[in-house]
Amino acid sequence: MGFYLLSYLCFAVFVVAAGCRIYRQLSLPVHVRWEIYPVQHEPAAKAAYGGSYMEELNWWEKRRERSLLTELGYMVPEILLIRGLWKENRNLWWVSFPFHFGLYLMIGVFGLLLLGAGLTLWGSAIYTEGSGLRTLLDGLILVMGWGGLILGTVGSLGLLYRRLANPEFRNYATPADYFNLLFILLFFLSALVAGLSNNPSLEGAKAYMLGLLSGGHSPAPYLPGRSIPGAVAIVSASLLGAYIPLTHMSHMFMKYFLYHEVKWDDTPNRPGGRIEAAVRKNLDLKPTWGARHVGADGRKTWGDIASSSPEEEKK
Amino acid sequence: MMKSLNPSDLAGTSDCLCRIEPGELAPLPPPYDDFNQATIPPLKPEKIKNIEASLDDTVAIGIPKPASKEEEEELIRRFLAGLQKLFEKENNWTFLQPLMLSMEHCAKCQTCSNACPVYEMSGHKDIYRPNFRAEVLRRIYRKYVKPGGKLTARFTGDINLNWTVIARLAELAYRCTLCRRCATVCPIGVDNGLITHEIRKLFSQEMGIAPKEIHDKGTVQHLKVGSTTGMTPPAAKDSMAFIQEEMEEITGYKVEVPWDVEGADILLLHNAGEMLAWPENVGAFAIIFQAAGISWTMSSEAMGYDAVNYGLWYDDVQFSRVAVRHADIARRLKVKKILIGECGHAHKALTVIADRLLTGELNIPRESALVTLEEIVLKGKIRFDPGRNNFPVTLHDPCNVVRAMGIVEPQRRILRKIAPQFREMTPHGVDNYCCGGGSGFAIMSGYNFADWRALVSSRKKFLQILQAFKDEPREAPKYVCAPCSNCKGAIRDIFAYYHAEERSSLYYGGLVELIVNAMADMKKPIIRFGDKPSWTATA
Repeated sequence: MGFYLLSYLCFAVFVVAAGCRIYRQLSLPVHVRWEIYPVQHEPAAKAAYGGSYMEELNWWEKRRERSLLTELGYMVPEILLIRGLWKENRNLWWVSFPFHFGLYLMIGVFGLLLLGAGLTLWGSAIYTEGSGLRTLLDGLILVMGWGGLILGTVGSLGLLYRRLANPEFRNYATPADYFNLLFILLFFLSALVAGLSNNPSLEGAKAYMLGLLSGGHSPAPYLPGRSIPGAVAIVSASLLGAYIPLTHMSHMFMKYFLYHEVKWDDTPNRPGGRIEAAVRKNLDLKPTWGARHVGADGRKTWGDIASSSPEEEKK
Repeated sequence: MMKSLNPSDLAGTSDCLCRIEPGELAPLPPPYDDFNQATIPPLKPEKIKNIEASLDDTVAIGIPKPASKEEEEELIRRFLAGLQKLFEKENNWTFLQPLMLSMEHCAKCQTCSNACPVYEMSGHKDIYRPNFRAEVLRRIYRKYVKPGGKLTARFTGDINLNWTVIARLAELAYRCTLCRRCATVCPIGVDNGLITHEIRKLFSQEMGIAPKEIHDKGTVQHLKVGSTTGMTPPAAKDSMAFIQEEMEEITGYKVEVPWDVEGADILLLHNAGEMLAWPENVGAFAIIFQAAGISWTMSSEAMGYDAVNYGLWYDDVQFSRVAVRHADIARRLKVKKILIGECGHAHKALTVIADRLLTGELNIPRESALVTLEEIVLKGKIRFDPGRNNFPVTLHDPCNVVRAMGIVEPQRRILRKIAPQFREMTPHGVDNYCCGGGSGFAIMSGYNFADWRALVSSRKKFLQILQAFKDEPREAPKYVCAPCSNCKGAIRDIFAYYHAEERSSLYYGGLVELIVNAMADMKKPIIRFGDKPSWTATA
């Protein structure tokens, strides 16, 4: 039961930490525009060369065109295949791609295990032994699971090697960077060994998920103590889930904000609109910058200061 | 060869952390290979004995060394106070979210380094990596500002903080042109260029430290006198009267510049530097608008004739003040829109960044002149004879117009129509390289900074230009079209430094000059190559 409790606890930490990160982003004030082109929600013809709506004469009189299709056409290969790195840093891609894709596959397997366990527990008629759905799910878990474990192990080792061997990376690496890589490698390796040693069809993972969903009361809960690698895999996976949102590795989901809230945030400030209201609120904030020319005293607002002249600087 | 450096080495005691030795700069092809052993001329010891000059071979700011231990401690305290303020919405609502995201999510993959022309051209000097200064700031922030930072620093990346680190960081913030090429290639979306921008802000807004060319002689003079050039309103009108006469003399076309016309469709804002350094650019705009029958005006009010906003590079407060004044002048003139002339940073400043600063009546539509010019040229409002521009032309993409605004094609569609020998640089458009004069560098020349700029930050652009014309005969005049005042300034300086006019017949200018040069009704060409009129130069 201790393993299940750890997993529940780590899941709760993940939800709270990720939630806090996301909430923090959502509650920040509207910032000035700092987009950078190409912006991928422009219509395909413009996105192809990095053009914007500001290329149009009197653009403010026209309806803005946006293309979700162009955006998805860019983001899906960017997220799944790490296309940016393929284009700009090919040497690193050879280890970064298996690492990331291995993690994606693990997340996918987690989802499939969850689905399988749910269907087993809540007795779906279409999910019986030998049914087409069960065969499909088992097959997917097997392929994605083994694929993910192999890719993840290779990628983690490759990233670790590059960070140790290449001064370009080593000079910037901190103990935390090595710890993070070793932590992830520990999960991949232990899961790989557990699978290879006595669990090739990943039945252990299915049973553990069943146990997680049923609070340990499923008919055949997995007992991690049976295998040390299995136990290590479960503990490291649980702890990783809790740890990732506390670190820079949260870029896995925070990338959404980096792209949509900054890099591609080209929404113009329309008179009377949402952004104008937010800007007015910002202009009421009272800065305390200390340089003399700013003239901030904690009482003047940004609006006051922007409409004033800089204070004469005494030499 | 110096050893490779990591961010914590910024606290080292060396009297020069990074030096470019002969032969380390990226090589230039013949006939410029005699510059390949060049180094940055050393600074005279007496000139730098009282300022911080231990970062590299040059000095951009010239920060005085603290006179006592107490003064040093006070400066460190102020630096940390400013760093804290960067993460407070009251002080930094303008960039808080972008800054937080870029501070927290870098994976240190160094993809940004490969994209940085300064790093590449310097011979891959570590301190010029986009991530170097960003990582220094991250480490200082984590250790000295975040709760418990001193306990976790050994785990998350340590750095010692002293006056040398702070002063070197300030200098290092002026070794990046803010071209943001690094940000476009980051797979995560981290923007190390933005972190450089924020470091500059910290120093300016909290400690009053900034290069004099962009603060004292820049925004302060702009707000006080009306122009960063020092030009007062009467002087601006005098300059324009002179330009009108010059235009008639040069081209045979009589042009009138409308001043302070209330209710005009367009208020045209030029970089006032154009009036002094490139008057033909300002004159060419007037000729085109008059010939096309555009309703436009210039403003003779202080600041109304100078579109620049140096605050964009280093100080949000100064930025806001300038932007508000520009918008207010347009509001009082009751124009329908503000048009930004050929000035890249003014484009981004007033059109994009100020967009979330100007509210109510100040939120007057702003447009790039390149868009308006495209309408004029392509819609047949003026007759052209492209044969008059029958010389090799390439286009420089100002980062602020192209990468920061996505205005890529209008200028190209114009050139395809009026310049039969137009060819692109490689790469171009949003992948372009900075001229090396971005973020204020074009106007900064204190100490030996102009040498550093010519040898390092502008080097990639020079290589691109040479590459674009590599198949042309040396003596054939070639034109680099740079629709941006700062870029033109940087390119002018590159050409002078490398004797490019003598060695390769390289010339530069704006887009409007090419447009006027191709106008069928012009009696004489506006573009000259040395002492030769451009219409005959290639005949």
